[in-house]
Amino acid sequence: MFRIDRRFFQNFDWILLLLLLAVACMALMNLYSASYPPSPYGISPFLKQCYLFLFGAMGILFILFFDYRELHFWNYPFYAIIIILLLIVLFAGNSAGGAQRWINLGFFKLQPSELAKLMMVVTLASYYSRKEQSEGYGLRDMVTPVLLTLLPFMLILKQPDLGTALMLIIVFVSMTVFAKLRWQTYGVGVILGSGAAIFAWFYLLRDYQKQRIETLLNPSKDPMGQGYQILQSKIAVGSGGIGGKGYMEGTQGHLHFLPERHTDFAFSVWGEEWGFVGSMVFLGVYFSMLFWGLYVAMTARDRFGVFLSFGVVMLIFWQAVINLLMILGFLPVVGIPLPLVSYGGSSLLTTLLALGLLMNIRMRRFQTGQNTEKMN
Amino acid sequence: MKWSGYKNLEELTEHDDANLDLLKRRIVIAGLIILFFGVIIFARLWFLQIYKGDEYRNRADNNRVRMREIEAPRGNVFDSKGREMVTNRPSFNVVLVREDSNDVDQLLKKLATALDIDISLLWEKLREASGKPRHIPIRLIEDVDWETLAYVENHNQKFPGIRIETVPVRVYHYENLAAHVIGYLGEISKKELAARDSKIYTGGDLIGKMGLERLHEADLRGEKGSSSSEVDARGFEQQLLKNVEPLPGKDIQLTIDAELQKVAEDLMEAGDKAGAVVAMEVKTGRMLVLASNPVLPLDQFVGGISHKNWNALLDNTKHPLINKVVQAMYPPGSVYKMMTAMAGLALGVINEDTVLYCPGHYTFGKRRYHCWKRGGHGAVNLKRAISESCDVYFYQVGLRVGVDKLAEYANKFGLGHKSGIEMEHEKSGLTPTKEWKKRRRGQKWQDGETLSVAIGQGFNLVTPLQICLMTATIANGGTQYLPQIIEKVTDPDGEVLKQFEPVVVSELAGEKQFLPLIRNGMEEVIQGRRGTARKVRIKGVTIGGKTGTAQVVRLKQYKHLKEEDIPYKYRDHAWFTCYAPAEDPEIAITVLVEHGLHGGSGAGPVARALLEEYFSDYLKRLAEQEEEGKKNE
Repeated sequence: MFRIDRRFFQNFDWILLLLLLAVACMALMNLYSASYPPSPYGISPFLKQCYLFLFGAMGILFILFFDYRELHFWNYPFYAIIIILLLIVLFAGNSAGGAQRWINLGFFKLQPSELAKLMMVVTLASYYSRKEQSEGYGLRDMVTPVLLTLLPFMLILKQPDLGTALMLIIVFVSMTVFAKLRWQTYGVGVILGSGAAIFAWFYLLRDYQKQRIETLLNPSKDPMGQGYQILQSKIAVGSGGIGGKGYMEGTQGHLHFLPERHTDFAFSVWGEEWGFVGSMVFLGVYFSMLFWGLYVAMTARDRFGVFLSFGVVMLIFWQAVINLLMILGFLPVVGIPLPLVSYGGSSLLTTLLALGLLMNIRMRRFQTGQNTEKMN
Repeated sequence: MKWSGYKNLEELTEHDDANLDLLKRRIVIAGLIILFFGVIIFARLWFLQIYKGDEYRNRADNNRVRMREIEAPRGNVFDSKGREMVTNRPSFNVVLVREDSNDVDQLLKKLATALDIDISLLWEKLREASGKPRHIPIRLIEDVDWETLAYVENHNQKFPGIRIETVPVRVYHYENLAAHVIGYLGEISKKELAARDSKIYTGGDLIGKMGLERLHEADLRGEKGSSSSEVDARGFEQQLLKNVEPLPGKDIQLTIDAELQKVAEDLMEAGDKAGAVVAMEVKTGRMLVLASNPVLPLDQFVGGISHKNWNALLDNTKHPLINKVVQAMYPPGSVYKMMTAMAGLALGVINEDTVLYCPGHYTFGKRRYHCWKRGGHGAVNLKRAISESCDVYFYQVGLRVGVDKLAEYANKFGLGHKSGIEMEHEKSGLTPTKEWKKRRRGQKWQDGETLSVAIGQGFNLVTPLQICLMTATIANGGTQYLPQIIEKVTDPDGEVLKQFEPVVVSELAGEKQFLPLIRNGMEEVIQGRRGTARKVRIKGVTIGGKTGTAQVVRLKQYKHLKEEDIPYKYRDHAWFTCYAPAEDPEIAITVLVEHGLHGGSGAGPVARALLEEYFSDYLKRLAEQEEEGKKNE
């Protein structure tokens, strides 16, 4: 099947690996502080995340041996598997906080909606790369991708998990706009989209979800509720000042003023303890990783590679931006993690696999279709 | 791999074409979008962490640091012998800090159930404090027992926002003893708060409301301490950051002798008497007893007196709220006769041997002025006049002296003006003059009124303290001392800040040569065969004194009644004032019993008991010597 040769190392994306390791180090450090003191029950989030990073690394290594183009063939089987998992979640999932999101595998609680994000990227990349329209896609071309997106979207919304569901839409819009539509198609899309949004506000959104959006518009209305979380997060980040309070010295985090401080609000802890300087270092590395991803897309050898790498970057980028803007008080609390940094196994594994795909594309950038056999 | 529509990878890559370059150009736009959001996040971080960094740092500190006041124990109060009169003990209150509780309703419900108390009481407390800032502790239950204390402390995880607060509260070792002198504490009112330094006082503080507690608030108060601790979001204290111990208040030692005071108050109480007992050291001005009966129930004032209790005090016909030592004025009655005698001697209208005749009455103008002894005293000299309190003698002396001179001499002995003692609302009394009547009543002075004044009736008004001062001035040979109640003030380190020193207010000039004549008369009152206060006599101690009866009303309808049948409020006040030992006086004692009828019987025994207590050591020694003497015989 495949063999490991010299070129595997020559073409390996060392830069992305380096950036990933840098982010991972900072993320694990931060997680240690954010989840301190560890709960006496069970395994600590820090150790768990360490294991998951190792597990994810093995996953990356594993997929590196396959050519990413194989995904063209495995695309729909994967899609079907994810949809089945989402259905299982709905009917037999573990619930927490009024939402059913997990499938308990014993050693690991799988959150299929996280995997669905990556699956969405792969599916759309595959679709757009095969069906090429130099004039832009028309309405009839869009029926399939819209349906492919709406199915998992509805299933995830039903859990309910508004944040993840919205991510699917965002990934869909990003990749579709990237693929280019006809002007008329945009028009119809905007009209249908806003119609759906209005419908959703009145019939689909639950009260607490509406409240989150309202809180954003007027945070001082309920300082102990949704606004409280945002306020405490702003206080945490702001009180970090230029140089921060020092590692493990953040009072907002350690005294429990910060909600969800090792999951969604993990960056608040970083901002508080490392200050403006530390935040800049972190964001510098993180955004370098994203730009590197775009560079991978630029240098990909085929259309599928371009779409796939672009989609992966968008997936990570939008989650990061939404999470950061939420932490900094610009967006409502929607429950979207900061990829690689927030504690959470499914999200971490999904992100690592996505980055694995990027490396895969990078590695195979010089190979043309014709000489694939040489590689295999 | 049929489902994908392709046979193999090669077929796939054939799609790659020139459009790939167009696609890649769009990546640049995506890069710009990423950059754009990167800049927004950068700017936002700069705004939060650098521009507003200090502000948020403060808010983070406010979040985590709770400062709370530690009340200073107030200064202790001791009596002249160093006995503890008022000290402090720790009291434990259950308090609620609303800021530290997410759900006050639920919390109070849990607390009420756990402690088995009526939740409406807790609501009430919460309502009262609704205007206060959320971080100020609200006292839910005050002075809880050990059981409650232990329960709340052990279950504090169950009650976030509920805490135990330890505050010192007053302990009165002699219960209500000298209540009017010591006074009481109460929660600071809004008016008091507004008038005081907000750095020292905050709402809910206790402040002296009366007596020593009020007058010496600044000494007794001490300085509050504070403790700053770090709390987490649920209000649990994590660690102590800073602790400033409170500085206890200064201790005050009174000149009052608690045991002596107790004898006075108990005797008055036992006889169900209302009135005042005053005792002072005649050569220093130290006040040894300042008793006003009925006493104030101090325990009712701890933690604020209820409306019902307050109204009961107000309605009490014996007026417990009034400090009768300085705040009540009475006609002096016969105890004033020393002043009439003094004026007469000083002006030379009489001398030691002047004899005036008493037929039982004296006719002046068209009116007949009676002596208390209907049959008359016959020929009376000064000594007899005082010892038997002959009214007719003093009518004539008064007439010869004139009302203005009577007032002048009375003033020299402390009557008619405030003494300056450290007590509230002291009354100045009244020594009438012609000018006073003109000014206040718009009427000319009638000479007949001089007769009444000469025997201590009429317009004359005095406080018990003034009579005691007068007696002391007679006893010590003419020096009027400032009456003082503070022996010393000591700070918590033991350093004496203020030490008693006698203050001379005035001194008699040449007139003091006549004082022995007056004292002779006063000693005869007790030691004489026909003295009016022979009952007060104590074997071994020579006493000089004077009884007095102050008429409350002169009503015909009660004239013929037996004294016991006169309604209480129309009965005469009884005075007794004395000094001892006569050879070298040390102490002056004045007793006033409201509606007590006769000085000798109503007021005398109280003074006698006080003297026995005061001279108890001496009397014991005397008795022992006598025993010895008997044995030796």
